[in-house]
Amino acid sequence: MNEFSYADAAVPVRGDLPAAYRRAWRRLAAPGTWWTGAERVAIAAEVRQAARCRLCQQRKLALSPELVDGSHESVGKLPAAAVEVIHRVVSEPARLTRSWFEKQLATRLTDAQYVEIIGVVVSVMSIDTFQRGLGLPPEPLPEPLPGEPSRRRPAGARAEGAWVPMIAERRATGEESDLYVKGRIANVLRALSLVPEEVRGLRDLSAAQYLSPDQLVDLRAGRALDRAQMELLAGRVSALNECFY
Amino acid sequence: MGTSADLHGVTDGKAAAGSGVTHAAALVSFAEAVVGGDDETLKQARAELLGRVGPEGLVDAAAVVGNFQRMVRIADGTGIPLDVSLEMMTTELRHELGIDRFGSAVNTPIPSRFRRTLGRWLRPLAMPAMKRVLALQARWARR
Repeated sequence: MNEFSYADAAVPVRGDLPAAYRRAWRRLAAPGTWWTGAERVAIAAEVRQAARCRLCQQRKLALSPELVDGSHESVGKLPAAAVEVIHRVVSEPARLTRSWFEKQLATRLTDAQYVEIIGVVVSVMSIDTFQRGLGLPPEPLPEPLPGEPSRRRPAGARAEGAWVPMIAERRATGEESDLYVKGRIANVLRALSLVPEEVRGLRDLSAAQYLSPDQLVDLRAGRALDRAQMELLAGRVSALNECFY
Repeated sequence: MGTSADLHGVTDGKAAAGSGVTHAAALVSFAEAVVGGDDETLKQARAELLGRVGPEGLVDAAAVVGNFQRMVRIADGTGIPLDVSLEMMTTELRHELGIDRFGSAVNTPIPSRFRRTLGRWLRPLAMPAMKRVLALQARWARR
């Protein structure tokens, strides 16, 4: 398999990164919890399309994105509500609001479908960003795999103040007992737990791109960059995105 | 660790050089260029960073930037509030860095007076506690 081969890259890439990316691509291609493999790959294609969307560019310049009407320049394989979610999350996450989210759910999009979209979008974006950082083209998307989504909604998910239900640590039992590392469960690590597979995927990618849950609490943990350097990058990216969390 | 860092470089890229973090200016320029979208600017920032931190450091930097392009969208896409302990311990810092003006701040409820008071009491203890944790980690690592 030649996916994520960095043989021709200008710098050597440590092996855990392409390994994690290949696992992410396999997850992407496979049927998910609420979307088929074909739909998940279509979500990924829409992530890349969003960067070229003129409606998104116009909305970025407007005082409020809601003031700009129009249709997204879409790949055309997903419902309009899904396209809206993908483009807005890619282009302007800082200006997402609860009322906007609720408007998406008023269409035929469910909260769980929404969460899975977020999971796919952010996985693809993080990998594409890495490629861009090294001056490499985005990896071609995988061929989708056949099969139906599992459609399993975790029993432990509850409304807890976020827009979507989440699973608390004490409710991560049974099939969800592997979801969290005890005592290290910040809200951002629970945010996608309405679709547990997205949490597992997030953990796998984060361990390669940033730190594992065990390393997070070790303030000396780092790689070629030390922890302070990693956190400076993390903070600056967050500020550039105007992310309060 | 146990050294101090000026965090203003997080919200003001021009202040990065004064942060006390090694190669801060080059790291911040790289992050800005990756997020920003201009390919020529990125090419220059990448070359600068490569010269400063080497190839492994550049790979780490690209990976961390990718990671946080993901994490910010998870947070803002799901409307999660700031964790209670973090909210209590960072009130002044957030205000000083101007983070409270970010739109997604509305997702975190304004804390009660009790919690604000508790946070004021606990904040002076945070740094000594963190130093203690680091010292313990270093002792365990030597075993």
